[in-house]
Amino acid sequence: MSTRSVQTAAIEQVETFSGVQNASWHRIRAHFGIEAFGINAWTATEAGQQLIGEHDEVGSGAARHEELYLVVRGHARFTVDGAEIDAPAGTLVFVADPESKRGAVAVEAGTTALVVGGKPGEAFSVSPWERHSEFLRFFETGEYERAIELLRERHAEEPESAGVLYNLACAESLAGRADDALEHLRRSVELDASFAEFAATDSDLDAVRKRPEFASALAGESA
Amino acid sequence: MSDETYALAHLDELERLEVDDEGLTWRPVRRHFGIGAFGVNAYTAAAAGARVVEEHRDDAEELYFVVSGRARFRLGEDEVEARAGTFVFAHPGTLRGAVAGEAGTTVLAMGARAGEVFEPSAWEESFAAFGYLRAGDADRGRGLLEDFAARHPDDWVARYKLAVFETLAGRHDAALGQLAQAAALDPQAAEYAGSDEDLAPLREHPGFGSAIAGQARPGGEPA
Repeated sequence: MSTRSVQTAAIEQVETFSGVQNASWHRIRAHFGIEAFGINAWTATEAGQQLIGEHDEVGSGAARHEELYLVVRGHARFTVDGAEIDAPAGTLVFVADPESKRGAVAVEAGTTALVVGGKPGEAFSVSPWERHSEFLRFFETGEYERAIELLRERHAEEPESAGVLYNLACAESLAGRADDALEHLRRSVELDASFAEFAATDSDLDAVRKRPEFASALAGESA
Repeated sequence: MSDETYALAHLDELERLEVDDEGLTWRPVRRHFGIGAFGVNAYTAAAAGARVVEEHRDDAEELYFVVSGRARFRLGEDEVEARAGTFVFAHPGTLRGAVAGEAGTTVLAMGARAGEVFEPSAWEESFAAFGYLRAGDADRGRGLLEDFAARHPDDWVARYKLAVFETLAGRHDAALGQLAQAAALDPQAAEYAGSDEDLAPLREHPGFGSAIAGQARPGGEPA
């Protein structure tokens, strides 16, 4: 027998974090402990679901990776810099420019896309968003206080990370810590205005959405 | 489509090159897109029982994904059945290979070395060159190997591969010229040439002895 404990896995056997609005994330790279390149997979549970969240590779959570997507089953519709791309199973979409805005929506339920990434000319390093994603395990189990604990540690390490602050705000909202959530949301948007767009529809923030400070937080204004 | 911000292809649209006598087809995904951060290729077996991943040992981390069909992987001393949708991870140094369980089985291979800047593997040029030779386009294949050898003037293997290429192409004088250059760069070339099946026709040539001594005969220079 091999001395290595993990060598093979079907997609569905890999640890998966289910999104509330977005597709489920299969943590392929972390599962195998790959350190030479990035790889993850996403599965949409219903048609019309955001399969790949719209993003670029220059934000605070990104690592300027070039990315290759492969639709392994189902059917997706990609958008890259405003151009729409029909992508049935077997389609490869390569985005080299880290500044390009890219995302995808599932045309069919059960659509799965792989994404492989790395930065040319540099040894691979894990993207900050992935490195900071362990807290999602506690979102899965509803242990929001444990998620908050982890995110506060991350926030102490990287106080200017808008992504960490945003996720901290979500965890605090879900844990009933409304004042903390609003303050961290405000700071997140102040650092990176794109989080206001996420916040506008993110159900994790429903508990604070009707508070008068919510609108000012999305505007990045002090309460 | 905008070529500037993304590139698109279906797996079935990619160039296919036969790379062995069993009908193993290589689709050079990385070369197609010009990916500079990681290696990625697709392989398809013509028949059940045929090789779909060549048995080899590699210092890279390699992750295989069975896109369609099924395959039996060998990883060191382990054997693993992998149906479509399965990942198989080979740690650096592990002997790896796979045989198709059904005709048309396709495997995507992704890889890079941890902690190192990615460099495209030299074997890609060789695979492409010999693939073109099999497809009847010797000039295109020769051009690839010549370009590679010109860029790596101290690499005896590059010249040795040209010697093999020219032998298979039936150009024995040109092959002797390449072999002489390889042997002049490194005496290992002579050792390999003594038992290499691909060079069997060359060993009967009166110029073989001087070629493996690193001396090209008149008329034995590369074309």
